[in-house]
Amino acid sequence: MVGMSVLRSAAAFAARLSPLKSGNKVSNLLTRTIPKTEQVLVRWGHGKQLFVIKSSSYYDTRFLHLLKYYILLTGIPVAAGITFINVFFGEAELAEIPEGYEPEYWEYYRHPITRFISRNIYDSPVKDYEKMMAAIQIEQEKGEHRLAHLEVRRQMRQRGDGPWFQKGTVDKGLIDHSPKSTPDT
Amino acid sequence: MPDDFDKDVYPVPPRRTPADNKQTSLPSPAVIASKLFYYSVDLPVTKFRECIDSIQSGHKSVYYHQRFRRVPDLTECEEGDYVCYYEAEMQWRRDYKVDQEIVRILQERMRACTQREGDSYHQNCSKELQNYNDATKAFLSRYGDLGAYASGRKCLMKQKERMMDAQKA
Repeated sequence: MVGMSVLRSAAAFAARLSPLKSGNKVSNLLTRTIPKTEQVLVRWGHGKQLFVIKSSSYYDTRFLHLLKYYILLTGIPVAAGITFINVFFGEAELAEIPEGYEPEYWEYYRHPITRFISRNIYDSPVKDYEKMMAAIQIEQEKGEHRLAHLEVRRQMRQRGDGPWFQKGTVDKGLIDHSPKSTPDT
Repeated sequence: MPDDFDKDVYPVPPRRTPADNKQTSLPSPAVIASKLFYYSVDLPVTKFRECIDSIQSGHKSVYYHQRFRRVPDLTECEEGDYVCYYEAEMQWRRDYKVDQEIVRILQERMRACTQREGDSYHQNCSKELQNYNDATKAFLSRYGDLGAYASGRKCLMKQKERMMDAQKA
């Protein structure tokens, strides 16, 4: 009984001395055993499971997955096709134009796909040239016609001897000369 | 195989490998390195090329350089004949491209010569240097400063200015 009070006062004294030390709380001063040293994990197994808080990478991974998918969806067939053409058809080699031979317009290109596009899809460069010259000639003639029109207007207005700029008058045969003493000039 | 470069235009300098003076029976590291390169790079590449050539050998196609007829120049066109202007303009553009390629080829030859000769290029490459300088001066006097929207008309006006300056001086 007395010993208990002595112990209690000793606990209170120890707690007052160093109150922050974990072993010195009043509650476990009386009931504490000699504390074992911390059980350090010597062999690092799976590690302590931590709940790491980071932002969601779901949208990023989804975007990158979809990007790769849609690029490769047509990218792989296109690359395979171009490899096939380069291996099995091959590029053309440069040669001198033989005497008396007029090469077709697609024979001026090297790669087989360019030749194909030039032969089947595009018009020949000569035809494009002629189309451009035809358009230029049409516009040139339109311009010349407009200038000529203006000149003709000017001349006819000035001279008055053309079909334009005439004012219509009444037919001569319809004039009733009977009440008139002198003829109209 | 694609053609090797023209040996006259780009002469290969004489080899300066020293005479073999082996004093050991061990293989020299240069031989080891060259054999390594041969078996790891040269041989597979050559075999691949031969394989593809054998696949393509049946149906080889050729391409040609196009030759264009000469058409009347801008100075020989009637005024207001826009079709003639167009043909002259197209011819001027083709000539412009050809001149650019000429200067580029001369520049490449000069650079190859400089690389070959090293520090003594002032003496040994004088012909290539002279050719390139002349070509560049001529090109710049004709086509320089015309800008991105260069045209045959602007080039003709530049020539007129040049002739006026030459007459004044």
